[in-house]
Amino acid sequence: MQVITTDVAVIGGGAAGCYAALNLAERGIKPLIICKGLVGKSGASLFAGNLVISGRALGNSEENARNTAEFLIKYHNQFLIDQKWAQRCGQWIEKVYYPELEKAGLYFRRDDSGEVVTSPGKIRSIAANVQGNSGVPFMDLRRKQVIKANIARMEETVATCLLSNGDGSVGGVFCLDTITGEYVAVIARAVILATGYSDRLHTRSTGTREMSADGIAMAWRLGATLVNMEMQWWHTNDLAHPPCWQRMQIYPNPMLGSEKSARMLNSAGEEFFNQQQDDPLAFGPYTVQLKALVKQVRAGKARYEGGYYAGFDNCDATEVETYTTYGKTFRQLGLPFPAHMAETAVSSHYRQGGIDVDTSTMRSSIPGLYAAGGVGGHSNGLIGLATYDGQMVAEGVAKDIATAKTASVPQPQIEAECRRLDRLRASSGDGSAPCKLKEQLRAVMWEKVGVEKNASDLQSALDDIERIRVELLPGMKISNSGRAANYEWLDAIDLINMIDVCELVIHSSLERKESRGPFIRQDFPSTDNDNWLAANVLKKSGNGMRFEKRPYDLPLFAPGFSQKDNLEVAW
Amino acid sequence: MAAPGDTPTPVVPAADGRRLGQVEQHDTLAARNSRLAPGDLVTLKVRRSEALAGDAYQEFRVPYQKWMRVLDALNWIAENAAPDLAFRWFCGSKMCGTCAVRMNGREVLACWEAVEPNMVIEPLRNLPVVRDLVVDRTRYEEKVASLQPWIERHEPYAGFPEPLTHKEMKNASKALDCISCMCCYSACPVIGLGNLTDFAGPAPLVQLGQTALDPRNNPEKVRRSIELTGIFNCISCYKCEEVCPAHIPIVSGVIEPLKAKAAELAPGMARHSFALRDIVARRGRVDPGELILKVQGLRGLRNLRRIWRLLVRRKINPIKTLLGIRTSAAGAAARLLGDGAKKP
Repeated sequence: MQVITTDVAVIGGGAAGCYAALNLAERGIKPLIICKGLVGKSGASLFAGNLVISGRALGNSEENARNTAEFLIKYHNQFLIDQKWAQRCGQWIEKVYYPELEKAGLYFRRDDSGEVVTSPGKIRSIAANVQGNSGVPFMDLRRKQVIKANIARMEETVATCLLSNGDGSVGGVFCLDTITGEYVAVIARAVILATGYSDRLHTRSTGTREMSADGIAMAWRLGATLVNMEMQWWHTNDLAHPPCWQRMQIYPNPMLGSEKSARMLNSAGEEFFNQQQDDPLAFGPYTVQLKALVKQVRAGKARYEGGYYAGFDNCDATEVETYTTYGKTFRQLGLPFPAHMAETAVSSHYRQGGIDVDTSTMRSSIPGLYAAGGVGGHSNGLIGLATYDGQMVAEGVAKDIATAKTASVPQPQIEAECRRLDRLRASSGDGSAPCKLKEQLRAVMWEKVGVEKNASDLQSALDDIERIRVELLPGMKISNSGRAANYEWLDAIDLINMIDVCELVIHSSLERKESRGPFIRQDFPSTDNDNWLAANVLKKSGNGMRFEKRPYDLPLFAPGFSQKDNLEVAW
Repeated sequence: MAAPGDTPTPVVPAADGRRLGQVEQHDTLAARNSRLAPGDLVTLKVRRSEALAGDAYQEFRVPYQKWMRVLDALNWIAENAAPDLAFRWFCGSKMCGTCAVRMNGREVLACWEAVEPNMVIEPLRNLPVVRDLVVDRTRYEEKVASLQPWIERHEPYAGFPEPLTHKEMKNASKALDCISCMCCYSACPVIGLGNLTDFAGPAPLVQLGQTALDPRNNPEKVRRSIELTGIFNCISCYKCEEVCPAHIPIVSGVIEPLKAKAAELAPGMARHSFALRDIVARRGRVDPGELILKVQGLRGLRNLRRIWRLLVRRKINPIKTLLGIRTSAAGAAARLLGDGAKKP
């Protein structure tokens, strides 16, 4: 087993993790990126379709700027956000983010006369090279910046547990190189979790293969405070087929260079959503779409698993394909484009909640542990917000690191983790393979913790998960006990994290007794601003947990009502 | 509008020269899918690292699901038949570029390619196999890092948004669609020669093209990078372009423009091309004898066995070479190739 010492361990190689590492390196603080996939090639950041224009950049009017802020706070976060943080973030995006990216070489799509191509409308956006694919060149640039800056990285390496110092602070992380099967202990003066927004906890999820809520699970085990874990966002129009395209979206947002947007039809062929017509302020209209879909499902004109359609039959092909990749899925299937409307379904998308952080330093409730980007509980995702977190966490760590001591190697913890992982690799029960159990767990979440929730289903999901934990997990079987590229072993490690986090999601869902945006309780259908315009804070206590409510300040925007049926609330 | 739920008529994509074979055979994804109905069994013979019962290939039958991709079939196998099958993927939707395999001898992105009724699935070539279908990407990553594929500005950044047109970015922008899936790297016959050449390979060249074909980059920096690529070893066979799931015109839109850059910035690299062009412009024909002398100088005479073979097969004719005999096409060639032919 290897022991590596570094200043800061950054867990995650997406927008937040890469930017944090680059920023730390510039300050002369030595980071090490630990990435379960490949830096810049895994996780959610790759999926960034376009970049929202913030503030007054690129000819944005005062009204455009205000719309962007209003969209972020209302539609994107349903007021469960530190509005002052959002404001700072918007300013930073305008003043630092775009210029810095372009200076480093990112290509914002121009037309032949040299104008930056934007989407028109109340909120405008631009794209890196092509709309629908902006995350790819964006993250490729980050990968190369990381290489250029000589930042150490351990790729295809999974962090399996945080190591703690005697005083309870975090002093490192234990890892498994999934390709060689070797263990690595990383000793660090600070650990940044940047493991992302989106975990594959439901049968249909946008979370990628490696996203199994590891960051949340590891932080929770050490006692980190979590927040708003129930606030799960959904894509309503990802392709219903084939299975691996469950995160392939028929993008509903405004298109670059066009006044139109995709439209959605129910099973009777009736249009029920078209962003540019229904709600131009809902730039990423996912919640508005979801509410529209819930009404269709309740009327028997759609199912969450399919039976409704989305596409661009209201546009012409050139209009869609000049600046976007939106035609590619149709064309790859040999479907007539744009005439064909593809069958779509719901996929669980970003989780707004996560690890509770101080948004000015990104400190978690545990000394030495920080969270940046989607794994934090302070905002819902956009690649610009995740990047801003990378900046903030680097500042936060830089403030603390002078006084943080170098940990000694916590030998007993390391030995215990080696034993735990060795035991998992040797699982030889007569039960199911770990990937099968993962699917079983996801099915429970899909059926009982889906778009529409109620107390009895949630309770029953807890019982099902308890059965997986107590009855099925011990009988799990791994058929090959080799070390190299053993994805069965990795599945087993993932599964335990997923079980823990699913339970936290369910308990949090039971606690929030209202409906808000994408969080829909059949038994509490109203949005309740009197009681629930508040963070649903989850703290570890002994072997259990307790909840606290923490109201949000409303310095810039306020909802303007006390209680209202959630499906009738615009956002 | 096509009625929702209708089975659409398969559409053959508009003719594209480089995909000619596929179009002629109606070898499109829709055509393949239309032969399969949900529940039909598709057969996969998957190359395993640890031979089972003496056979390196293990056979699986997988029930077809609507619009099934190769990755869906592999996932079905992992869940239902061989949980220890090792294959790499992250995004499942043509963004991360990590799931490429060879299907029936052709490089495909598993998440993007439709299943066929009978498939042989193998790991990519030209990269060492870690286990089953997982290959070690290190060789590629090291090459790319050595090319330093980033921008070094020769003029100060003008502020956002800087002056730039899509016309200027046209080739670089195509290269930016690269997801470094290694399909082209596996298909490249020159990379297949191993260490016989110093060719960087198509994927590293596309990565380099992203910034080397960007007008904002410092030409001196571009020269230093291109010099490390052995780019003139590319034989323009278009195999890379044929397999690229991102439809990047790798030869015509990236490698050829990079070769032109090399000829401009590091003419020494293009000696062979310049010599060939000069000979054709002057004499209206290719003269291998003169080409060897011009490119290799007297070193070219050292390999007597080769010279003998070339003489016997009448590939070279020293008399014509020494007399510099022209063909009747010489005038036309000189007109077509113009003055450029005279430059080094």
